[in-house]
Amino acid sequence: MTFEQARDYLLQKARAIGIDAEVLASHRRELTVQAHGGRLEEITQATQGGVGVRVVAEGKTGYAYTEERTPEALDWVLAEAHENALLQSETGGFLPAGSELGRHDLLGEGLSAPLEQKRQAALEVESGLRADPRMRQVQMTRYSENETQATLGSTQGVSGAYRNGYSALMAYAVMGEGSSLKQAFEVDISREFHALDPGRTSQEFIRKTGRLLGARPLKTGRYKAYFEPEAFGQLLAVMGMFMLSAKNVLEGKSLLSGKIGQQIATEIFTLIDDPTLPDGLASRPFDSEGTGARRTVLIENGVLRTFAHNSETARKMGVENTGHASRSYKGVLGVAPTNLFVEPGQGVKQDDGIVVTDMMGLHAGANPISGEFSLQALGLKVEGGEVAYPMENFTVAGNFLELLSRITALGTKLEWHPMMGIVGSPMVEVAELSFAGA
Amino acid sequence: MLAEALVGEVLQKARVDGASYAELYVERWRRRALRVLSGEVKEATSGIEYGAGLRLFYGTEVVYAYTNDLSPESLLEVTETLVKLKGSAGQVDARGRGGLDFRRTVAQGLHAPRIPFTDRDKRYRLERIREAEAGAQVGPQIKQVQTNLLEWDQEVLVATSEGRWAEDRRVRTRLYVTAIAQDESGMQTGVVGPGLSMGLELFDHHPPAEVGRKAGLQALTNLRAKPAPAGTMPVVIGNGFGGVIFHEALGHLLETTSVAKKTSVLSDKLGEKVASDCVTYIDDGTTPHGWGSQEFDDEGMATDRTVLIENGVLQSYMVDRLGGMLTGYRPTGSGRRQDYTFAPTSRMRNTFIAPGATPKEKLFEGIEYGLYAADMGGGQVRPGSGEYNFGVKEGYIIRNGRIEEPVRGAMLVGKGPDSILKIVAVSDDLETSAGMCGSLSGSIPTEVGQPHLLISEIVVGGQA
Repeated sequence: MTFEQARDYLLQKARAIGIDAEVLASHRRELTVQAHGGRLEEITQATQGGVGVRVVAEGKTGYAYTEERTPEALDWVLAEAHENALLQSETGGFLPAGSELGRHDLLGEGLSAPLEQKRQAALEVESGLRADPRMRQVQMTRYSENETQATLGSTQGVSGAYRNGYSALMAYAVMGEGSSLKQAFEVDISREFHALDPGRTSQEFIRKTGRLLGARPLKTGRYKAYFEPEAFGQLLAVMGMFMLSAKNVLEGKSLLSGKIGQQIATEIFTLIDDPTLPDGLASRPFDSEGTGARRTVLIENGVLRTFAHNSETARKMGVENTGHASRSYKGVLGVAPTNLFVEPGQGVKQDDGIVVTDMMGLHAGANPISGEFSLQALGLKVEGGEVAYPMENFTVAGNFLELLSRITALGTKLEWHPMMGIVGSPMVEVAELSFAGA
Repeated sequence: MLAEALVGEVLQKARVDGASYAELYVERWRRRALRVLSGEVKEATSGIEYGAGLRLFYGTEVVYAYTNDLSPESLLEVTETLVKLKGSAGQVDARGRGGLDFRRTVAQGLHAPRIPFTDRDKRYRLERIREAEAGAQVGPQIKQVQTNLLEWDQEVLVATSEGRWAEDRRVRTRLYVTAIAQDESGMQTGVVGPGLSMGLELFDHHPPAEVGRKAGLQALTNLRAKPAPAGTMPVVIGNGFGGVIFHEALGHLLETTSVAKKTSVLSDKLGEKVASDCVTYIDDGTTPHGWGSQEFDDEGMATDRTVLIENGVLQSYMVDRLGGMLTGYRPTGSGRRQDYTFAPTSRMRNTFIAPGATPKEKLFEGIEYGLYAADMGGGQVRPGSGEYNFGVKEGYIIRNGRIEEPVRGAMLVGKGPDSILKIVAVSDDLETSAGMCGSLSGSIPTEVGQPHLLISEIVVGGQA
């Protein structure tokens, strides 16, 4: 059975038993070529796909999915989803009315290139890394590509499909100088294979990691912080999106609850999510409920304008749906950003403080419910406007909302990084934060 | 799950086309997940995951393919594509296309569930979840309680061109309670999440009301806690999930995945002293019903009990097939993967610090000022530099040997195995705890554990 056939089979069965259903089928193809020691050590070729349903019966919602596309498996899926729905006591569930959304191709010929060029790209990243005498070990370098086709359909008339994908170069290695060692991971992503540049990936790795060699401990204290775009993006991905999710607001988990229209950040801070950016890696024509893509200003000049909504959260809060529904075939309806970014500012002048280049342990050290974070970090000490030396074995701690209200300057250049979604940020200067070290 | 003849044909085809070793991994999972928030079923979901991963070795070069189309045509086509990707066609093996003579090994059911996946209806599950929610209501400040119940039933087949045929069935259940407490000072959480390789009898081992109560109390403790201090100080780490520190700071450095490429600072150190005398560290894949237990690893090898460090001396690494080929160490049944979408690598199973001789109370004696990390959150390590960090979920100040006021938001950070050498005493109250470990071959269930122990000094990240 094809994915379209599976979708139609489920919708027809759902209609027959009189329940509403929304079917999301997606499948993807992956190719990964991994180099090590001047040869290709691992190649992965894959196809994976599945079908997930959300059903609404008597105003109650349930889910089920399968990767096995047989009538027996699909029947089980519908029966389980129906049974799961009836466990709910709340009866406000519904599926949004929809329409024909068309078929879209965001990828085009982006991944078209001979296999040999892709193998060479992985090998070139490695040789580029090894050219630096400070390179101690290269764990692996990788070329990876991913192509996804998603199909959506519902008993309420939603119907649409799109194809998307990306190619990426990755480097994972250890640099050393004397007894100082630093391990890092670098990734470069593009929708176009030909836009990747192995030399750039290896040089970026060397630049970012090499500058941290010979790092010294930091004296515990309060310092001005300069977050590099990637580091600030990490915080934003873990903290910001959690708090801005209307689903988390409704579940009493967000510190931003009840703060629409209030100043929650400094006036220079504007946060936007835009799924319509032509080059945005997370761009898409419609969300996972079929709501059309559009730009949303979440925080404008420090004022909270809206949360990110799907149809369910928007109806519950009586506001407009922002089209942020997210669901994988295995998952449940949620809220997720696409291309989320901080608007660049007038520029940051580094005088005295700490440039935070990288943070570790976000899954343990950042609590989006309390807003508090205490994270292992790497960075550079800046004195009198000059980078004095690199630093290690310290933590940076604070509360995310307090941090937003203490931002004093933003860089002029926007940088995009893949996090959970794609996050863009300039350099972010924060007046003062707690640093713990020796 | 697949006919022996088809499996044999796929493996032989790969061998004929030049692979030195071929391995087919097939799995079928049924999963259920229930998320209940303060009495309301938020999401109930069920799923079937079904697929196969084919791994071919050409010496120590590996090609891997996965698919969830398990028809004979698809599997043979995948094999063909892989061989072409390798680009070594033409090296025809003279052994021909005869059938493979499989040696069948079937799991004995050492971790089999008493109450399986299909037993009891969903209302029963809901009732037990409500007990957890009620248990968490330990004060008016508890505003929300979220309970997740996860049930996995995984059937696995691993067959290899050397004739290995191993079938395993892994049933795992986990109850995960998050209590959220709130007052004018802010919002804090308490989290408790026991999991074991068994069915719904998990509720007998970890009564839901008790799990909920612990989560509730932890949230209340954090609500009245002050921000943690910052600086270098002695730390007593609590038993059970406290073991996550050694999972991060030590365990990951002993996997051949990093050891073989010498990207671990503990490479080439067998027989050397890497920890203080009081440390014995064990990775045991055979613990009955352990969260990380399984009878076979994901390469079809029987799991074993691996003593990694004995009295401070490094005895063994955790070795998968490829790691064994690259290093010459004997495989330890440590090849694991999240599912068919990942090729296996060497991973931990149930890893713990063995009990020592110091009574728990003695650990606190003589500490003028320090931190008691009663419960830990997760952590992270970079094996190449040895830098690691982990979050304290429930912490208290130690003053003049006494446990005093609670503090929150502490992060313990360190570099290199130095801090392992700074473990100065280990008590006798070993406990283990369930966690999920993410690495190259995906996210897998692993158990961490330890008795209470004392680290003479470590950097505590908090408010300066």
